[in-house]
Amino acid sequence: MEKKLQSPKWTTIYGFLLPGILLYLFIVLVPLAVAVYFSFFKWSGGLNKDFIGLHNYVQLLQDRKFWFSFRNNLIITLLSIVGQLGIAFALAVVLQSRWIRFREFHRTVLFLPVVLPAVVVGFIWNLIYSQHYGILNGLLDSLHLEGWIRPWLDNPKIVIYSVTVPIIWQWIGLYLIIFLAALQNIPEEIYEAAEIDGATGLRKVFSITLPLMYNTLKVAVMLCISGNMKIFDSIYVMTGGGPGISSTVMAQYAYTTSFGQFSFGYGSAISIGMIIISLGLILLSRRLMGGRAFE
Amino acid sequence: MTNLIVVAFSLTCIFPIIWIMYSSFKTQHEFELNIVSLPVSLYFENYVSAFSVGKLHKYLWNSAYVSAVSVLLTVLIGFVTGYFLSRYRFRGRNVLYTMFLFGMIIPVYGLLVPLFIEFRNLNMLDNRLSLVLPEVTFALPLVIFLIESFVKGIPTEMEEAAYVDGANLVTTMARVVFPMCGPVLSTCIILSFLNIWNEFPFALILINSQELKTIPVGLTHFAGTFTVNYPQLMAGINVAIMPVILVYLIFYKRIIQGMVAGAVKS
Repeated sequence: MEKKLQSPKWTTIYGFLLPGILLYLFIVLVPLAVAVYFSFFKWSGGLNKDFIGLHNYVQLLQDRKFWFSFRNNLIITLLSIVGQLGIAFALAVVLQSRWIRFREFHRTVLFLPVVLPAVVVGFIWNLIYSQHYGILNGLLDSLHLEGWIRPWLDNPKIVIYSVTVPIIWQWIGLYLIIFLAALQNIPEEIYEAAEIDGATGLRKVFSITLPLMYNTLKVAVMLCISGNMKIFDSIYVMTGGGPGISSTVMAQYAYTTSFGQFSFGYGSAISIGMIIISLGLILLSRRLMGGRAFE
Repeated sequence: MTNLIVVAFSLTCIFPIIWIMYSSFKTQHEFELNIVSLPVSLYFENYVSAFSVGKLHKYLWNSAYVSAVSVLLTVLIGFVTGYFLSRYRFRGRNVLYTMFLFGMIIPVYGLLVPLFIEFRNLNMLDNRLSLVLPEVTFALPLVIFLIESFVKGIPTEMEEAAYVDGANLVTTMARVVFPMCGPVLSTCIILSFLNIWNEFPFALILINSQELKTIPVGLTHFAGTFTVNYPQLMAGINVAIMPVILVYLIFYKRIIQGMVAGAVKS
């Protein structure tokens, strides 16, 4: 676009940009610097703190609980990529087909969970999973699948899967809409030509839809990864990371360490570690996917 | 057949919410007898005690206060920032643009502890106005991005004409550009409202007094008090999500569009 407007002096421009810049400095950059500083101390939040150099980071590298919670983030991410994107893709293809009715209604309803507070999503699923008064066990009971009834959030072996389902459930709508928008960009003629050549149903999906949506799928996977690195709210409500640490994710671990055990020095080191790992993973996935990391 | 499957899927999305809505009008005893049946009569007591005992109105007011101030600031700062980033090429522009968009992918929860320490040292904890600062910062990237791309699409003629007529920069921005941005501004208001109203972890650690808590945090406290009384908890949930549901039902087209644009961008 032509720049015919005469540009104001740069001091003027920066004057107007100042509030945003200051806010960013004060809320993102300064706290990060502060956290790096305190991560070199053993500090429980009081007046006394001991300089211990890199000890917190050495501890972090060997901290089984930290890596376990990172592993939980990864499990949730992988399950989300498969479940969330898979279901959203299938739904998008189906919703796009000619014989579906009430399209608008489905779109609206399937997107609704996206706007709910994640805290409330946690409570809703707490109620669904409830041992005696939850709809899940109630449903299993009425289907005569009593053998499947279990304490969904209290069994350390399955709890990580139980807390993943609400996350998948909440975000399907977002990916559905992204996929629907991409599907609408595929020209109808391609399908018609394929039909003339005898292609049907699934064949069309795999030979036409999937390849043509490759870029959108890439975006969705990256979105899924960055989104799942910041999971906290719903798990905090459902299990608080428990039983034990079986459903603890990185944010929960940083929270519990700092505010539950008052290890603010170590909590700072966890926070820095978590940011480095998440950013690394996000940037790596972007690199691998062939996209540029930024504009 | 496919119709049925899709309907079933939509139902799994909406049934839990509907279930919570009608069950909140049951007594605890009635709920325990049959968890899915409709209430025999509308029992409003759950809502009465949600406010009288649970003090939900306080949390609602705090959320409204924090959201109103934050949304106003977010949209104002976002508009000015987005406008300059879009209209002018200046030294450092790309760095700033990247920095602001970076805010969309940075794992913000890594900032929980650092921000808590900073706010504590500055004596800013437990204050609704300090909570506004992170809320605005984290809502800002999406708004900047939406404004930036919208302004890119409007021709510069109107602004040129305004300058020819002798208007200055501020007048031009406020009287010429701002009104033209009407549609995108309303999208920004709605989306930042949803983000801020729903925000949980920062409200959790930065606010301590019961009196000042926002609704998501207040709800966890509420739930702790009524762990066994499910219909009561459901009434609380309903009160907490009612504003969100209403905003969604009125503006869903805009919300869906805006969120998808923002998501794909990041």
